[in-house]
Amino acid sequence: MTLLSADGIEASIGNVVACRDLDLSLKPGTVWSILGRNGVGKTTLLLTLAGLRPLTAGQIRVGRDPLNQLTRRARAQKIGLLFQNPDIQFPVTVNETVMNGRHPWIEKWRDSSEEDQSIVDRELGRVGLAGFGRRNLSSLSGGERRRVELAALAAQQTELVFMDEPVNHLDLHFQTELLKQFLANYRSKKRAVVMVMHDVNLATRFSDHLLLLFGNGETCQGSVDMIANEENLSRLYQHPLRRYPADGAYFFYPS
Amino acid sequence: MRSNGAVVGTLTAMVVGLLLALRVSADVAVVDDSGTRISLKSSATRIISLAPNLTEILFFIGAGDQIVGAVEYSDFPAAARKLPMIGAHNRFDVERILSLKPDLIVGWLSGNPQDGLQVLKQLGFPVFISEPSTVNDIVSLMERLGTLTGHQSEAVQQASNFRASIDASRETYSKRRPVRVFYQVWEQPIYTLNGDHVISHLIDLCGGRNIFSDLEQLAPVVSLESVLARDPEVIVGGGIFGQKPPWAERWESWPTVRAVENKHIYAIESDHIARMGPRLSEGIEALCLVIDKARDNS
Amino acid sequence: MLIFQTGRDSRRFGWVILFLTALVPVSLAISVSLGSIPIDWGAVVETIRTGKSSVDHTIVFELRLPRSASAFVVGASLALAGVLMQALLRNPLADPYVLGTSGGAAVFALIVMLSGLAYQFVSLAAALGAVVSLALVIFLSRDSGGWSSTRLLLTGIVMASGWGALISFFLSISQQNQIQGMLFWLMGDFRDRGPGLVHYLTLLVVLIASIFASRGLNLLVAGTLKAESLGVHTLRLRFAMLIGAGLLTAVAVTLAGAIGFVGLVVPHIMRLIVGPDHRRLIPAALMMGGSLLVITEMLARTVLAPRQLPVGVITAFVGVPLFLYLLRRGSRQEMP
Repeated sequence: MTLLSADGIEASIGNVVACRDLDLSLKPGTVWSILGRNGVGKTTLLLTLAGLRPLTAGQIRVGRDPLNQLTRRARAQKIGLLFQNPDIQFPVTVNETVMNGRHPWIEKWRDSSEEDQSIVDRELGRVGLAGFGRRNLSSLSGGERRRVELAALAAQQTELVFMDEPVNHLDLHFQTELLKQFLANYRSKKRAVVMVMHDVNLATRFSDHLLLLFGNGETCQGSVDMIANEENLSRLYQHPLRRYPADGAYFFYPS
Repeated sequence: MRSNGAVVGTLTAMVVGLLLALRVSADVAVVDDSGTRISLKSSATRIISLAPNLTEILFFIGAGDQIVGAVEYSDFPAAARKLPMIGAHNRFDVERILSLKPDLIVGWLSGNPQDGLQVLKQLGFPVFISEPSTVNDIVSLMERLGTLTGHQSEAVQQASNFRASIDASRETYSKRRPVRVFYQVWEQPIYTLNGDHVISHLIDLCGGRNIFSDLEQLAPVVSLESVLARDPEVIVGGGIFGQKPPWAERWESWPTVRAVENKHIYAIESDHIARMGPRLSEGIEALCLVIDKARDNS
Repeated sequence: MLIFQTGRDSRRFGWVILFLTALVPVSLAISVSLGSIPIDWGAVVETIRTGKSSVDHTIVFELRLPRSASAFVVGASLALAGVLMQALLRNPLADPYVLGTSGGAAVFALIVMLSGLAYQFVSLAAALGAVVSLALVIFLSRDSGGWSSTRLLLTGIVMASGWGALISFFLSISQQNQIQGMLFWLMGDFRDRGPGLVHYLTLLVVLIASIFASRGLNLLVAGTLKAESLGVHTLRLRFAMLIGAGLLTAVAVTLAGAIGFVGLVVPHIMRLIVGPDHRRLIPAALMMGGSLLVITEMLARTVLAPRQLPVGVITAFVGVPLFLYLLRRGSRQEMP
């Protein structure tokens, strides 16, 4: 069963057309990466798929329901989004930030429950920040802040997880570790993940599907093994890339 | 016949007596400068003054010891300085006014805050609002305050003296050779007055001509160049009468101006000339004197 | 209804709210008791019982009480407007006037003063000016994506400068006798009339709406897009806050001219004390703002009596050291 399906969609912002007549089907347990040069509209497409930007053409369904007919709250329970978040100038704590992720599940006039708090604690532990609850967000490093955001996203417990460059700014160790851990977790829970990625190697290593945006609305999609070749990626990045084997897998290196 | 005459006579006496009695116990009433009729049961004995010139006028007409409170800068005559202060003319203390239990408040339309005057009226006090802008206005103000304070005859007399003194100045000076006068209110920026201002009228009275009487604004800011262009024969401003004013130095850099060339830069007491009160006559005397000095040099 | 997050937090907040709830009536009582004249309370009671008039009763009920009530309403309105502005612009340095509302109010008020219309129209004009200024900012800062905080802020700053230039112009062309009234208004001061029903109602309505929107406001701080993705109707919320803050500012300038400082400092101070959760911050800031202004208004008319000082001067004297102290304490706590 498909968690999200897009039929003939066109997403654009200003003069930039991210995709034209795109059909997309997100199944449970799959991980997609969206790749492309800067400015082709990767983030725009992600936001459009999440229902935060209007479609120029086509329709998106979440399960059987059209996305634009879902209430905001219902949509927030189904789709979680991780952004390039701006700096927060106010003294918010780590616990509050992760608890924000529970917002779509907390009844309007109620406060968070003990169960909500235990979810928050669990997700903080999963990103290696157990006990950081009372700390001010501004006292954390950039990498730590990103991990808090990932925890908040996990706490939102959505079927669809969309992430815009989740691991940039993170230490190398955390880049691979977090992706491995998170994605394994999401796969096991049968979620569908879509990530906008800059690092083509992390993308090919950790996703099972790719969506390439060439600019001007041209796209190309499929499983990683099918799509990730020298020809496609060189054309995508407009720079020759060579594929080299490594440890039973492979990586791409600009020549 | 004789008994009829007696009856008529007695009746007449009674009527006259009644009328006299009525007049003595009649309300004291005048109309203030905002057109409001101010009516008191008897002469005011606890007066609040909301402007320094009003304090001076009240003392002048003999009602000085009926004042129970006055605003800041009520500094003339000396006795006025001992009066309880009730704040500034533009920000007075209503509580203190209330506690002094006045039976008449004398205010100033353009100098007191409208709200404040309104509150006093709403609290039930008779508020006489003044706004004198000419010598005649001052005379009328003196007389009306005289009525309200039970000093009617003294006020009329004093006002008459006041007017006579000013008329004397007019007699002496207004027909003499006209002199171009620049009246400097403030140095930086240069503020002066136009022809509508009372001081400009006083300059006329002294036989002078205000070089900026044609401007539209009542107290306009003018450029240095315009003063130079209009070439006054005498420059007058605030300071201590008889002493060289501190702002004179600045003009000495401009010897092309006739007033500077001939050293006709004078100070007169601004409290005299700017306060619409009894000392205006002294101010006029000083003003006419200094203008006259410039007259000699032609 | 509210379950607080940790035991320690909630106890502390409980004390703070208790203190503030007591502070409000205490500050009003102090303000009514003190002034330039000592009150004979016996006479006041006598008047209440027998109806025989006394100066003391008049001073307490017709002068001090209305002024204190105005001070409370203005302080509460400005503090709440400050909270909303800071959340709207996601900037702790925002205050109710940052979008130019006080400038607009001032310009309209000055126009009425210059034109010689009855002074009752000045208040109305001020309220109208605040609203017009707000509408202009909303209109001018709109772009395809709605209103970003940055655009709002920049447009507001430009508007404020524009109004400021107009104010200077009006001051320069006005007559001597008009300037007095204008400066009086610009420095911010209370009339001796109390607040009207419309002022109370506006404060109440915006307060209730803000408390309802508290959770959304908390999320908005994390970013507009993030809040939207969590289910908050950000466009509606931000618009409502803008209107709410604008109306509160209009109420404040109508009652007291342009009083600065309260709308910036009180939300900040309360945020340092009770934290950024708007469910706590809003009521706390409101009560603190109201009480603070009640006390400063009392000081303004008492400290140098019978000289009466502009309230805005005292607010700065009281607020600045308080704020600096709390800021230093707060930053020490933040160190990991």
